[in-house]
Amino acid sequence: MADSTIVVRNLSKTYGNGERAVHALERVNLAIPSGTVFGLLGPNGAGKTTLIKVLTGITDITEGDAAVAGFDIRRDPMEVKSRIGWVAAEVILDDDFTARENLWLQAKLQRLTDWESRADDLLRYFSLIDRADDRVSHFSTGMRKKLEIALALLHQPSVIFMDEPTIGLDVSTRRMLWGIITAIHKEFGVTVLLTTHYIEEADALCDRIAIIDRGKILAEGTPSELKGRVHADLVQLEVGVPVDPAALSAIPGVQEVRAQGNDWVIRVASSEEFLPRLLATYPAASIRRISVEKPSLETVFLDITGRRLGEDEPIRDVRRFYAQMRRTRQ
Amino acid sequence: MTPSWSALYGLYVREILRTFRNPFVLLVTVVQPFMWLAFFGSSFSDVPAGLLQELFGTSNYIQFLLPGVLSTSMLTVGMFGSMSTIQDKRFGFMKRILITPTSKGTVFVTKALGSATRGLVQFPIMVAAALAFGVRFHVVWWQWGVWVLALMLLATGFCSLFLAITASSTDWQTPGVVSNFITMPLMFSSAALFGSSHFPAWMQAISSVNPITFSALLGRSFVLGTPVDWTYLLYLTIFAGVMLTLGYLVSRRWLKVE
Repeated sequence: MADSTIVVRNLSKTYGNGERAVHALERVNLAIPSGTVFGLLGPNGAGKTTLIKVLTGITDITEGDAAVAGFDIRRDPMEVKSRIGWVAAEVILDDDFTARENLWLQAKLQRLTDWESRADDLLRYFSLIDRADDRVSHFSTGMRKKLEIALALLHQPSVIFMDEPTIGLDVSTRRMLWGIITAIHKEFGVTVLLTTHYIEEADALCDRIAIIDRGKILAEGTPSELKGRVHADLVQLEVGVPVDPAALSAIPGVQEVRAQGNDWVIRVASSEEFLPRLLATYPAASIRRISVEKPSLETVFLDITGRRLGEDEPIRDVRRFYAQMRRTRQ
Repeated sequence: MTPSWSALYGLYVREILRTFRNPFVLLVTVVQPFMWLAFFGSSFSDVPAGLLQELFGTSNYIQFLLPGVLSTSMLTVGMFGSMSTIQDKRFGFMKRILITPTSKGTVFVTKALGSATRGLVQFPIMVAAALAFGVRFHVVWWQWGVWVLALMLLATGFCSLFLAITASSTDWQTPGVVSNFITMPLMFSSAALFGSSHFPAWMQAISSVNPITFSALLGRSFVLGTPVDWTYLLYLTIFAGVMLTLGYLVSRRWLKVE
């Protein structure tokens, strides 16, 4: 795609080999248009961070190709690195340095010669200019996050990778950061690739979203396009008596019935029409819990994967799980 | 891949500033030399001067000991270089560095040179401490520079060795374990604390290829004003060059990011 800042073709990343191989990414294809905020939405361990590690040159590709800002990440990794910025999930700054010294070091690492005026502009933009010569160990979390974004913008990158940028932040700091992400995208014209497992964050910030799970991109589109995929309401039901799925499926308007643990997830054309019919089939006293969800990114994820975003799969083999975790961190 | 001089300078300055901004590191750097000279240096204070002269070539054991202790100190700075690298990996700073156009080789070189420079901070303090203990120096003015150069080469070699061994580690304990493993054998098989002429033959063989011996003997010839064997400086240059090259290659291949 001509105006795509990031292009990924059949990209796979495998840690280890043989029986112990962990397929972190499997044949991922993406084309991220320039100037957009693109969200990768998925649960922990879905492959979001691995994709960022691959695209930033931190880890190698096993198979496939990827280009960032017009440069192949295998052939021209340094060209890519001089055109990208990075904001980590945890704030990573040199605490022994002042804000200005952190910017100085970033300028040295990015081989910038004329950086002072740009640094001052950024410090002013993020309201840090009065604290420019204070050590960052004395900064609040919000200030540290702002400085980290300033570092990412110092060399005027084409793309900024934000890996779970609001994880662990309180609500007000998270809201402040949302405002900053929207503003920098508009004011500095950068493409933002943001990973998150917060539905509301993806919905509020992203122009386009890809849903990723178990290393695979399952769906991609604008938030409205994704929500439009689910032309149905989802009813989640817990019943105290044995349930015959065939009986549930026979209720008019039911499109699909799926078991999910002790619950039943029922996809219906209209929950308003379905609920009275359900109560006619099962006495109200036998229904322990019932919830209805209108189309949202949450229901899109549930519809595609069969589970909610916050629901991790049960760990069956603890030793294998920790072995995989160790390999994934390498 | 060509090294980035800009990144090399930035990361080197970072290493140095981090040392000087840590009051605890500074305190230990200043106090440790005095403790070495006070406790170890005084252990022969009641030995008759004639016997000291016969054993050490001087009646002042601290005068004999000083170049050896300085050389041994350069061995331990490698451990701190490794610890600083592991800290960068664990706190994510290594990732921040390597997402910029900075190579792993550049990171290695700055860590090795930064740690070596940090080790040299002890030099003037140790010399001042020795003066306070009554040591007289017979060093010609330009020999001070050569002595510092020799120590820098020794420290660069050991820092490179440590960094190469711990390149793929992210465990805080690794540098300490490696240090425990190699410090004692290298220190006691060298001529740092005692002259090697009284060693058994097998230890003399080890001592004769031990870089700490080269540095200690070179420094000792400066302090005592005895004839200088310049091949020691050549050996130290080879040691630093080989270790620096080895560490650079190992880091480019195996330096872990996190």
